Amino acid sequence: MHHLLLFNIIDQIRALGWGGAFTLLRNGIVLGSLYSLIALGYTMVYGILKLLNFAHGDVFMIGTFMGYGVLIAFGGALAPTIPFIPLILLMFAVSMAGSGVVGVGIERFAYRPLRNAPRIAPLISALGVAFFLENSAQLLTNSAHELYNGYALGGKNGNFGPLLNPVFTIDQVPVTVIMVIVVLTAIALMAALVLIVYRTKLGKAMRATSFDREAASMMGIDTDRVISMTFFIGSVLAGAAGVMYGLYIGDAYFFIGFLFGLKAFTAAVVGGIGSLPGAMLGGVLIGVVEAFATGYAGGQWSEIVVFGILILFLLVRPTGLLGSPAIQKV
Amino acid sequence: MLKKVGAVAAFAALVSVLVATTAWGSAAAPRHLSAAAAKTVKCGKKVTIGVAYPETGPAASLGAPQWDWANFAKKQWNKSHKLKLAFVRGDTQLAGANPQAVQVGHAFASNSKILAVTGPAGSQEVEDSILAYKHGGLGVVSGSATRIFLTRAEGGTARETPKGSFFRTVPNDGQQGDNVATFIHKVLKKKNVRIIDDEEAYSQGLAAQVKADLEATGATVTTDHISQQNPDYSSVVAGIPNNTQLVYIPWQVPSMAQQFFTQLRANGKKQIVMGSDGTDDPSTFKGAGSYVSGFPVDTTSPALKAFQSAHGGDPETFGLPTYTSVMVNAKAIAGACKAGHGKTTRTAIRKRLHKVTLTKTVSLLGFPVVFLGKNQGKFQGPGDMGGTAAFGIYKIQKNGTYARVG
Repeated sequence: MHHLLLFNIIDQIRALGWGGAFTLLRNGIVLGSLYSLIALGYTMVYGILKLLNFAHGDVFMIGTFMGYGVLIAFGGALAPTIPFIPLILLMFAVSMAGSGVVGVGIERFAYRPLRNAPRIAPLISALGVAFFLENSAQLLTNSAHELYNGYALGGKNGNFGPLLNPVFTIDQVPVTVIMVIVVLTAIALMAALVLIVYRTKLGKAMRATSFDREAASMMGIDTDRVISMTFFIGSVLAGAAGVMYGLYIGDAYFFIGFLFGLKAFTAAVVGGIGSLPGAMLGGVLIGVVEAFATGYAGGQWSEIVVFGILILFLLVRPTGLLGSPAIQKV
Repeated sequence: MLKKVGAVAAFAALVSVLVATTAWGSAAAPRHLSAAAAKTVKCGKKVTIGVAYPETGPAASLGAPQWDWANFAKKQWNKSHKLKLAFVRGDTQLAGANPQAVQVGHAFASNSKILAVTGPAGSQEVEDSILAYKHGGLGVVSGSATRIFLTRAEGGTARETPKGSFFRTVPNDGQQGDNVATFIHKVLKKKNVRIIDDEEAYSQGLAAQVKADLEATGATVTTDHISQQNPDYSSVVAGIPNNTQLVYIPWQVPSMAQQFFTQLRANGKKQIVMGSDGTDDPSTFKGAGSYVSGFPVDTTSPALKAFQSAHGGDPETFGLPTYTSVMVNAKAIAGACKAGHGKTTRTAIRKRLHKVTLTKTVSLLGFPVVFLGKNQGKFQGPGDMGGTAAFGIYKIQKNGTYARVG
């Protein structure tokens, strides 16, 4: 059985050639960019509250629906009532702002009252919020898969629009406009986040709160506000990922946050939870590994490989690639 | 001390084994019909059907059209009959062997108001829960459980449901798979086929049938899998060998088929895509040049048009056989109530199910419903529909409409 799998993989590598390998690398980087954006939300909240915010994947899902809502409000991708570039920008703006508000709301009502409770309490609350968001979305959408049809934006009569035009090709493998948008937007947002965290007063307060919340509070930092802003920023990134997911992959569904969120969480752990560069690196790494596992071993292996990596890291290197071990004063 | 702990552990293990055995026995292997099966009930003005479908969980998008069509059937029936229908719904979810389906089975069996059951949706749910329904004397009529073995023993595999307890208003995997493979082989004349299932029982059954049939014709068949929870198909698309001529995707969600088609073309791949009845939805799957198998529905039917206009133009075709299932149950109940002069039993209704016939106009499926009492052809058994029940093959035109080609 194992030999058979190995032979299949070797056959597949040969059959796909270098073009196939580049295609998988391309797919992995694009997918990984989305994982990275969501992983940043997990890692920021963990860094500041030591909380695994399992509702974060569902904030991403809400962002996907918000983007879809804007798209539909302006006629949908097949017959938009405004030019497609302002439409996409509007989708980003509404989804990012809306997701940010949802994130702040979650923190205010589900986590803040439990700030001084044992650590298991907010964790359970996070799971509750995740189910609440999922089931609310299910009720509101009647369990429908809502197609973005992003391929048609800017096109005529439902044909492929400019989002699927190749920007360049390598070994006959096209890298399309939407792929470039996803990767560049992710890089730009991550750069903005790094600037906020390391070059602004808010960032300094975030780092101080992350280091020692009590001491930060005694130094006059409004830690509640800082925590709210952390949730807001993390959720804004998830909202942006939601729109890009819709445009690149295709649909909004109430359950997408579950698996996508878990993979982004895996990315955060692999990169080193609490580390911003780690979340970015982990996201791309998980995306690339998933793409290669799917392309060479088959779709049934993608989850096994991704979550196998999660287990491996937790056992062998729980601090992740770029995380540092927590030092506890005793 | 160790001895004490050991004794307590052994006792606990024994108790858990006993509890598990008892639970297993009560869930899966009732030996006698319950009193509810033979209990005489007054039909009155309203009778109740249990509708078991995936209301929540990852596959809720499949349950939604079933529920919509069930309600539409209720509305249609109630408009023209004195004996009105009411529903009790049960959420079976849809995740392989899941206890939820068994719980719904027990809940329906113990609810004396319920006289017949529409559903469960999935083949595995049917297999897991059928004894609970049988114990309660209930017959079940599924609109989407398509595994062959539910109605027929074949190749050393026993029939998975007791005869007379399970019926379906959807042709089974053998019938659909055979149709599809014959079309690919004889009409499209394709020799290199990629089959990608979505790791669900429905999809795997169809995939296995088409693969076996195509390989018997000498075609080269390669396989892959996707997950319903992971709609990024870019790497699955990348893994399709270049010499592949046709990709068969027996999936349940039309939007997934559309996304797959888009990702295939966006990656410059030209293979023909062929979907199953699960992807048969002209409002969603519009991949020009692709094929789907589907019910040969009469699109000019006023009922079909009324449903579509009430649901934003979406025919939700996957749920259509659930409409037919409700009609079958309603007719069986009405017949039993009439025969019993206003009174009936679950057993009487169950025994009447196999006698129910629906005309092509009433079934909406594009063929009349007549249940088989014995094996027919290579795949059908008692509980399956006979006669002209089969899928048609449709080609998707440039404007997104479906034209029947097989």
